[in-house]
Amino acid sequence: MTAQTILSSALWLALVVLGLSFLLTVWRVIKGPTLPDRVVALDMLVGIVIGFIALIAIRTGFTLYIDIAISLGLVGFLATVAFARFILARGRGEEAPEAKASPVAPAAPLAPKHKRATSRKPGAGPAVSRKAKK
Amino acid sequence: MIAVLIALLTALLILVGAGFALVAAIGINRLPDVYTRMHAASKAGTVGSGLMLLAVALHAGDLSTLARALAGFFFFVLTAPISAHLLAMAAHKMGYPLHEQSVRDDLNDHQN
Amino acid sequence: MTTYILSLVFAVVWVAVTGSGTLHNLIFGFALSTLSLWIVREQMSARGYWRRMGRILSLLVLFFKELALSAWKVAVLVMSPRMELKPGIFAYPLTVDRDFEITLLANLITLTPGTLSVDVSADRKTLFVHAIDCSDPEATKRDIATGFERKIMEAFR
Repeated sequence: MTAQTILSSALWLALVVLGLSFLLTVWRVIKGPTLPDRVVALDMLVGIVIGFIALIAIRTGFTLYIDIAISLGLVGFLATVAFARFILARGRGEEAPEAKASPVAPAAPLAPKHKRATSRKPGAGPAVSRKAKK
Repeated sequence: MIAVLIALLTALLILVGAGFALVAAIGINRLPDVYTRMHAASKAGTVGSGLMLLAVALHAGDLSTLARALAGFFFFVLTAPISAHLLAMAAHKMGYPLHEQSVRDDLNDHQN
Repeated sequence: MTTYILSLVFAVVWVAVTGSGTLHNLIFGFALSTLSLWIVREQMSARGYWRRMGRILSLLVLFFKELALSAWKVAVLVMSPRMELKPGIFAYPLTVDRDFEITLLANLITLTPGTLSVDVSADRKTLFVHAIDCSDPEATKRDIATGFERKIMEAFR
């Protein structure tokens, strides 16, 4: 009796927990104020889906699912790399520049940083075009 | 007896893995900026899905499955830091700010 | 290091070619590839293969220990009701200078508690590390220097 019951109850619980974390991560994808936030959350989603696939492999006994999980991991990794390149190529673009930094004045050690970050932006133009040619 | 033991171990791996995935998801929502969120996603998330793959290997109990699951585990553990590193670098190069609680930013001082 | 990876790859290839994924076959393939690499050792100039492999294994063990620890620390940090964060990016002066070693060190740093490597300076002398708790960067630097960096030097020098 026990082996099967233990396994199936653990599987149910884990599926519920994973579903919850999936929803939480999707919430970050929707909300995430900047593009890198969304990419991090998408990367995380791939990990969660790999967990789902592993659970289903245990449930159904089809070990072929492991190959699917590995290829999904590969695709997810390549997608993240491509997104990172995209972030580099696009710059900060049209999104609200200080979406995440608080509207109040930033703490003293970081105050010059914001100025530099913004003053650096015009310089990003030629760098981007160089990258695009590569 | 052995079957029960293996089932217990598998269940433990599954639950701990799912727990880490949940923690990573909570972290991704609670932490204040991109860089700190990456900590949660790249560590807890990787360990979570890796543990569940190990559970598959343990449950199947034959060597070819074990080999593939281990290969998958190593693959995830090796690629997660690379993608986190690339994302962090891209975000920082494009001037996405650190959270205002941040105490120092040597990279910015270095670049400017 | 290259010989180690090579013989492992050869063993996997052996298993794939012979088409039986049993443990015995894998070990046999590993022994065979080690033997064949030992025959060409003059050309590859790989001395101290076994000693080096022991060090690489100890690096691997350290890596998995740190990975488990770091996931646990992130979990504790995230679940604590009031998050006291002092994140920041500090510069870490590199002692290792070869590309492969820098890559390995950067990856290991990413998977250790509370640190995430962000960038390498153009002259390859400095690694920029984002720490989730940057209140004492000197201690973190010391940990990395005496932990991973020394192990990497031992394993690959």
